[in-house]
Amino acid sequence: MKLIFGLFTLFWLATPACAEQTAYAVRSTEIKQQPYSDAATVARLNENASVSIVSRQGGWVRISSRAGNGWVKMLSLRGGSTATRRGDSGLQNLFNIGRTGSSGITVATGVRGLSEEDLKHAQPDPHELEKLQNYAVNKARAEKFAREAKLKSLPLDYLPSGGKP
Amino acid sequence: MFKRSALFFVICLLPACKQGTMEFDLDKAVSIAQKARQANRSIEEPEEIRMGSGIAANLLGTSPLLADDKAQQYINQVGRWVSLHTERPDLPWKFGILASTDVNAFATPGGMIFITRGLLQKLNNESELAGVLAHEMVHVLRKHHLAALQKEARLGIASDLLGEALKDNNSQVLEKAIKAGTEVYARGLDKEDEFEADRMGIVIATRAGYDPYGLPAVLQMLETGSAQDSSLALMFKTHPAPRDRLNLLDRAMGTRFDAYSAPTQTDKRFNSEVSQYL
Repeated sequence: MKLIFGLFTLFWLATPACAEQTAYAVRSTEIKQQPYSDAATVARLNENASVSIVSRQGGWVRISSRAGNGWVKMLSLRGGSTATRRGDSGLQNLFNIGRTGSSGITVATGVRGLSEEDLKHAQPDPHELEKLQNYAVNKARAEKFAREAKLKSLPLDYLPSGGKP
Repeated sequence: MFKRSALFFVICLLPACKQGTMEFDLDKAVSIAQKARQANRSIEEPEEIRMGSGIAANLLGTSPLLADDKAQQYINQVGRWVSLHTERPDLPWKFGILASTDVNAFATPGGMIFITRGLLQKLNNESELAGVLAHEMVHVLRKHHLAALQKEARLGIASDLLGEALKDNNSQVLEKAIKAGTEVYARGLDKEDEFEADRMGIVIATRAGYDPYGLPAVLQMLETGSAQDSSLALMFKTHPAPRDRLNLLDRAMGTRFDAYSAPTQTDKRFNSEVSQYL
């Protein structure tokens, strides 16, 4: 009995560690050596092929797969695979990588609120609204903030609603 | 002239229909109806902001702000910078981190934008934050909530008169509009409005110098979540499936966003300004 319980505990403990950062290809796509369209092609990833996610850079994701390792376009992948997740442990942060020290944080004292029922019976909190007003920043400060991180404005039109087929 | 007589005729009939059921102010009705024709059912900016503030106060009533001045200032700077790249840069944009551990983000009419601590905690960099805030801004720019509210039959006032009634400082109407407006957040917006917010949001974030793939990255993260996860329940109920949103973005974006990337300084800043607080 103890042995069974022990094995069960072991299995239960081991499961989260085994949770792989997986995704699958929604279409056949080239695996590139570098995260650029004109980089050398390492291999071809077939539609529905499973991959493991290593990291992300802009619109590119570094993967390892049976077909090969390298970079593929982020939107050629969708999260997960055949595995389904249920319950409160659901959010596995499959793509939540690259930010050190932040994954797996549990909040000890959390306010939930914001359920459907909460919203239907909401009562105003003018004091919190006043706080919100006080946090507002003006344009000049926002522009300074952008300059500090070398953010530059770019002209760009909105996209048509249909998109390419 | 004919139109005016027709309107007068209709208005003369109204009290007869309603007699005994409610008091009717004929002068006011004429004035509201006439103004409403001129206003062409639009709710003007001061009323939009007043109503949005009321809805924001209600949202804050269900979850207070995260008690962290530095993090709040940080998202206000990101958000205000992004807002300068919209067609309404002069709105009194305000941004708040809600203390809730729920995973969600909200916008209220007039430019008040909220992100929950639960969602912020799952983000990896400033581009993802900018993408989420830009998506919410589109709801304000395109007045999606006002459209949802004007579809509301429960308001007890014809939707095309709402703008005028609000302008008349009718506190009862304002109160009703705020209550009904808050309930829109429990039901969610039109799916097409969410898709539009994704499609326009990535452009706005890119204009502000951020990685266009910030918002898609957040959607891919959400895609791995489950509707059974209670912290995601409302967000999943009120939005189209992340997979559908990604499919549409995939088609809309094509390869034309490949050349853009965010300056690395933004990543460092995000990690120092946000990570430690959450």
